[in-house]
Amino acid sequence: MRQYRKLVTPYCLWLFVLTVIPMLLILFYAITAKGTEITTFEFTLENFFKFFDPIFISVLIKSLILGIITTLICFLIGYPVAYMIAKCKEPTQNILILLITIPTWINLLMRIYAWSSILSNNGLINTFLNFLGFESISMMYTDFAVIIGMVYCFLPFMILPIHTSLTSMDPSLVEASMDLGASRVQSFFKVTFPLSLSGVLTGIIMVFLPAISEFVIPKMLGGGQYSLIGNFIENQFITVGNWHFGSAVSMILAVIVIIMMACLYRIEKRTNISSDDEGR
Amino acid sequence: MRKLVNLVLVSVMAITIAGCSSSSSSGRTLKVFNWGEYADMDVIYAFEDEYDCDVVYETYDSNESMYTKLLGGNSYDIMVPSEYMIQRLIKEDLITTIDWSYITNADSLDSSILNQDFDPNNDYWVPYFCGNVGILYDTTKVDESDLADGWEILRNTTYKGNIYMYDSERDSFMVALKALGYSMNTTDESEIEEAYNWLVDQRNTMDPTYATDDVIDAMMNSEKAMAVIYSGDAAAVMAENEDMAFYMPEEGTNYWFDGFVVSKDCEDVELAYEFINYMISDENALSNTLAVGYLTANVNAAQEASETDFAGISAYAIRIDENDEVFNYQDQETKELFSEYWTKVKAS
Repeated sequence: MRQYRKLVTPYCLWLFVLTVIPMLLILFYAITAKGTEITTFEFTLENFFKFFDPIFISVLIKSLILGIITTLICFLIGYPVAYMIAKCKEPTQNILILLITIPTWINLLMRIYAWSSILSNNGLINTFLNFLGFESISMMYTDFAVIIGMVYCFLPFMILPIHTSLTSMDPSLVEASMDLGASRVQSFFKVTFPLSLSGVLTGIIMVFLPAISEFVIPKMLGGGQYSLIGNFIENQFITVGNWHFGSAVSMILAVIVIIMMACLYRIEKRTNISSDDEGR
Repeated sequence: MRKLVNLVLVSVMAITIAGCSSSSSSGRTLKVFNWGEYADMDVIYAFEDEYDCDVVYETYDSNESMYTKLLGGNSYDIMVPSEYMIQRLIKEDLITTIDWSYITNADSLDSSILNQDFDPNNDYWVPYFCGNVGILYDTTKVDESDLADGWEILRNTTYKGNIYMYDSERDSFMVALKALGYSMNTTDESEIEEAYNWLVDQRNTMDPTYATDDVIDAMMNSEKAMAVIYSGDAAAVMAENEDMAFYMPEEGTNYWFDGFVVSKDCEDVELAYEFINYMISDENALSNTLAVGYLTANVNAAQEASETDFAGISAYAIRIDENDEVFNYQDQETKELFSEYWTKVKAS
């Protein structure tokens, strides 16, 4: 093994150039402000204080709530789907997993554009409703449209890890629990679900993190008035040109994300230990 | 025009162009950075053939994103910013003066938009497209007598939930400032605050949708009664949907123009001039304006387009009245004040 260790060097270099340096740059921008004519920048924490305005905080809270709703819906849809796929024969499983991943081969923008023409006032759904004699419903530029778009985009990232953890499970454990008198429902909640928790947590992380910082979907399906933290940051960089404030907000978001990941990691560890205990 | 998707498509196209033509070229290249969907691509291919060169064509969706990309270290030979961004580029010494002796087609340019205050001799830019900002309305939904209110029609609660505002701080503040009877280039903080309150009030009472390019498709489908829109986009919609009409309030509005500028980084300046001259020739300006829908700065081409494809479409014209203004370059302080207010309008 030892002689292969050097192979990791390019990866470390890659990581440093593409992850560490940009992060440091963001940090640098966050704690500086445009200086006077003489010094090009000055250190300040004002960018962070500036964010603690009730309006900005409400944007952050709205993003977190939307992220939680998206994650919850993805879980409620994703778990049963993953479970049913895991129950199929292996060739069928491969086909089903392929079907789930195929949409991700198409550019995100195209898919969101498709949704906007499905949901719009004279779109597919409303045309169909009118055909059946119902009134049109206005769906674009609402929470509903944004959540549909988000769930649609992130669902595969919930299904795949859950499916992996379900298929890697030893089926004899379920057989054992049934032999010992547990019903199907009982053995699902006592054995299968706890053992798939690591997949669920990975899924939650993979959905929740991009969901809270997403800005393209809310912009296209929610309209410009749909201001989430991701749009807010994008706006600071592109339109306003205040990179310092934008960076500070990115840092705040990053800290929140790190705290949440740490919590999830703890939960995961604890459930692993307790399921080990039960195993004994 | 400024659609995100189109941006992607055109970028892909640009890569393809670059890929295809690299085999045949003599080694001269020109890097053009233009708005998305803002030229007839056939004109650009023809230019490549005629001058035996590669045009590396990239697109952007706002002046600000163009500027950000430029500052990010990308170098381009030719860009097509709007007037206030041209002012900024001049001030920051990022563009070079143009040798008008190469621009032999200059005679057919609309002289009323030349020689603006910020560049009295028109040394830095060559006009390409121009227009106004106005209100596009659905004649079947909007009572024409309400139009007498001018911009205030955007706060008429009859149309609650039925309007599109343009999702840009400049255009929205322009509407609010003009509605209040102020100059859109004001630096007076109390006037700006009043405009902010106007926009917040509008947001609360009218429930408007803030959108940019979605408006074009949406209005073609008659989704809402009214939209604040660029005249060129309005012309495109009116050509497709005959219920639509275009209206510019008496209180005044913005007139704007986008023009070619040559960056300081440009190495083959001569080729850059040839390109600009080629794009504004009568024939090519006509192809461009027909493809894009915006009013071309070439008067001959504009004349012909307004008699043929855009016959009877009132939005295919430019109005420069006493109350109409161009945007001026804002100093950093004013700019930040506007953007802070705008962020709050959108987040509230």
